[in-house]
Amino acid sequence: MDILGLIQSNLLTPIVLFFIFGIIAARIKSDLKIPDAISEFLPIYLLAAIGLHGGIEMRNTGFETMLVPMLVAIGLSLLFTLNHYQILRHLGKFNLFDSYALASTYGAVGAVTFSVGLSFLKTQGVTSEGFLAAILAVLEPVAFILAIFLTNMAVSKQMKTKKESIGDIVESELSMGLSETKTNLKQVLHESITGKAIVILLGSIFIGYLIGEEGFSSISIVFDELFTGAIVIFLIEMGIIAGQRLEDIKKVGVFLIAFSIIMPTFNGIIGVLVATVMGLSLGGSVMFGLLLASASFIAAPAVLRHAIPQAKPSLYITSALGITFPYNIIVLLPIMYLISSIVHNEGSIDLFNYISKGWI
Amino acid sequence: MKLYNVKLLTVTCEILAQKNVINILAKHNISGYTTYEVEGNGARGLRGQGLKNEKNVKVEVIMQQDKLQDVTEEIARTLFTNYAVVLYVSDVGVIRSEKFV
Repeated sequence: MDILGLIQSNLLTPIVLFFIFGIIAARIKSDLKIPDAISEFLPIYLLAAIGLHGGIEMRNTGFETMLVPMLVAIGLSLLFTLNHYQILRHLGKFNLFDSYALASTYGAVGAVTFSVGLSFLKTQGVTSEGFLAAILAVLEPVAFILAIFLTNMAVSKQMKTKKESIGDIVESELSMGLSETKTNLKQVLHESITGKAIVILLGSIFIGYLIGEEGFSSISIVFDELFTGAIVIFLIEMGIIAGQRLEDIKKVGVFLIAFSIIMPTFNGIIGVLVATVMGLSLGGSVMFGLLLASASFIAAPAVLRHAIPQAKPSLYITSALGITFPYNIIVLLPIMYLISSIVHNEGSIDLFNYISKGWI
Repeated sequence: MKLYNVKLLTVTCEILAQKNVINILAKHNISGYTTYEVEGNGARGLRGQGLKNEKNVKVEVIMQQDKLQDVTEEIARTLFTNYAVVLYVSDVGVIRSEKFV
């Protein structure tokens, strides 16, 4: 199977076609719109379905297997966030706030991208490890917390140098301003951990773990069979929003456009290779790569707008939703699938792991 | 019926700044307000479409003249640079002025 063929067949899946359809609908200025309540409901539904599946899988495999992949994922996510920052700040010449906001948007994970990935694997007839849902939950706040922490540090440092240069006279005034500029990390931590995405995901994993296969059979019609259909409806909405933002893409600049394509590719391929070395299955490695490649566009604005209000949301939402998301689901997903197939079939050590775990 | 003169402060802002506005009100011991989701166009482009987090809200607060200065000053100082905010004040008459201290 060649790469172009795979991308081509991926293009003709309902998910991608409806996404493109949404973009076209927005371009021709149609009033087509998914009602608000439904587009708010669908991410919750998708996360519940992902969580339930993850929980049921984890009941079969146990918790021990997920410890190493989870720690590696956290480590890579932090490392990538720092790496993004350096690239954006020094090569892209973005200001400190935009750099950290973008760095964490790309270090964080996208739940919608994850859903599309699961459905892609389903079409290919491949399964993935259930504990990846737990990694999705844990990775969600990690990159933001790091970026917000570092932004606070940088702001404090700037304030300190400013204070030294001005002298003591206006000290009280400056320290007042400082306490307002600095975001309360504890508050951000609380908000992002109790945010709806993580709560529904962890809750569903837990419930899935408790009910197992037998308990799931009674609700599988909603949470299994409807899954891909629900993504399709949600992607119409995502397509419309992305389509409305097409003009904004020109405004983000060539550098950020290149960044939004090159970084996910790099992160994703590293993710697939690292996952393969850790012994994850073919599908699991694709999903692990996708976790690291994806950018957050639903959770990111909510967290960053409060934590780093100085950063321009038009930059991080447009690049994550308008460029990276379509690229990830249309082009990168088949590429990662192909790479994962190659390394899983040719590496003899990996092949051994692959068979011994008996995922297929 | 006698009407008492009080001030109506209206803040139209992005939904993610709503919490900041309400915190500022709380800081000045104002607990009553009304909010509603709105759409519109402005310096930051068409707002209120697409993602929930990009919607606008309108916050209406009735207060006495003496608090108005501090509240508007704080909103202007902390929110104007980074958020989409439009703020204006109008005179209104209420029957029970003791409700709006």
